[in-house]
Amino acid sequence: MDVVVENVSRVFGGQGRAAGVVALDRVSHRFRSRRFACILGPSGCGKSTLIQIVGGIEPASGGTIRIEDPQDGARHPLGAHSVMVWQNLNLFPWRSVIDNVAFGLEMRGVARAARYDRARALIASVGLRGFENHLPGQLSGGMRQRVALARALIMERPILLMDEPFAALDAQTKIVMQEELLRIFDRTHKTVLFVTHAIEEAILLGDEVVVMTARPGQVKEVIAVDLPRPRALDMVGSRDFGALFDRIFRLIRDEVMKAMQQQAAMAGAG
Amino acid sequence: MKNGRTGIGRIAAASLPVLTIVGFIAIWELMVRARGIAPIYLPAPSSIAVYLWRMVADGTMAYHLGVTLARIFAGFALAAVAGIALGLLMGMSRTIARVADVWIAALYPLPKISLIPLLIIWLGTGEAYKIVISAVTAFFPIVISTYAGIRQSDRGLVKAAKDLGASPQQIQFKVVIPAAIPSIFAGLQLGMGVTIILVVAAEMIGGSSQGGMGYLLIMAGQVMETEKVFASLVVLAVMGAVIIKLQQWTDRKLAPWVGLRDDH
Repeated sequence: MDVVVENVSRVFGGQGRAAGVVALDRVSHRFRSRRFACILGPSGCGKSTLIQIVGGIEPASGGTIRIEDPQDGARHPLGAHSVMVWQNLNLFPWRSVIDNVAFGLEMRGVARAARYDRARALIASVGLRGFENHLPGQLSGGMRQRVALARALIMERPILLMDEPFAALDAQTKIVMQEELLRIFDRTHKTVLFVTHAIEEAILLGDEVVVMTARPGQVKEVIAVDLPRPRALDMVGSRDFGALFDRIFRLIRDEVMKAMQQQAAMAGAG
Repeated sequence: MKNGRTGIGRIAAASLPVLTIVGFIAIWELMVRARGIAPIYLPAPSSIAVYLWRMVADGTMAYHLGVTLARIFAGFALAAVAGIALGLLMGMSRTIARVADVWIAALYPLPKISLIPLLIIWLGTGEAYKIVISAVTAFFPIVISTYAGIRQSDRGLVKAAKDLGASPQQIQFKVVIPAAIPSIFAGLQLGMGVTIILVVAAEMIGGSSQGGMGYLLIMAGQVMETEKVFASLVVLAVMGAVIIKLQQWTDRKLAPWVGLRDDH
């Protein structure tokens, strides 16, 4: 599925005379089917808002989003073909691992035996065999991240939306999870929209890096990443990788400075 | 050597609370004996123990304790069912919440004990009045905590459930209500505390001859059997502690995820 974003804006607050905060300002981009896109930008640039709008979770204040079949151009409703992996995971703390993973199937009315079969296979595929009956609170951060991933993958939706999923992990666990995600992408080739603020992560994972400006969020530049797949961690040391890093770093540096000034001004005003 | 010392330190730390109680009782006993205080004012712990044993042995204590416990659980069960039901309804319907909110705001601050005269006029001094007064009192913390639990449910979990295809009804029953369980349990614990207080108070005020720990206390007090008063207080204290511990244990069994590290 292609995700076509056209002139999408989002304004928070601002009812009556008060001017709202413009989180997204006429963002346009075509996220291509079966490609891995990383959305990179300083904090507060609206990148999380953007993928929540794409997922039909948050409304847009203006503009259009189309979920389009690249073969026949058929259009699909928002949210029906995508699933989100959340920054704070949003696992259900009272549900065991298997009941978290099977949640989507349960809502769809799939019988217990069938959904457990499917959930067990997915839990095994993310390396959590034996932890089916644990509660999320009994698992480490990396393991909970795998549960969240399995819970999204079981939906078998062609678009995977990921909102800084690895931001809270320690450095080693993050590397393992990035490799895991690359392996899953090589196998499934979903359309991925991956929000991050880490340049290295964006280059390592993505086919393209959509660099956003500080608030109001706009697309500053789109950088194609033509490193070969399957990707591996040792590519980080290569010359191509370094060149991409420098280029994106220079793009993002000004925006990060701008974002910091905005935050300082807000802190002063508050 | 170091390990040995920390081991001893740990044992000392663990036994300290018990030691303070033993020490308190010992000083009490010594003071009463040394000063020759009349038992009618302050009996010695040893004579309280004798009375307590007699009351246990002849079945008096078991009878009154049983009567009080039955009233506590009846009042608590009523309050729990009604309080949770209304709290959930308020969480599901804005209209119900708006209407119930006014009533709760008006009635919650009223000291429930002040309803005793009215309830005795309406219901007499029998079982009904004791159960109703305790249920009415426990109802408020339970309904308020239930409603708060529903209202404060994690928006992130609701969004995630919706994204995973849950219908509004499924979100209510599979996400919002389970997420409110810790808050509901907190309300039930508060409710149990006030139920115990109100049942014993009602037994003391009713002036009825229907038994119960409150009745036992007031009767012993009126004839200045101070040892019996103390013996009843000891039993009441132990009963309260056991009920609260049992409730905490049940909560942990029913909701093992509460208190585990959060996902955020």
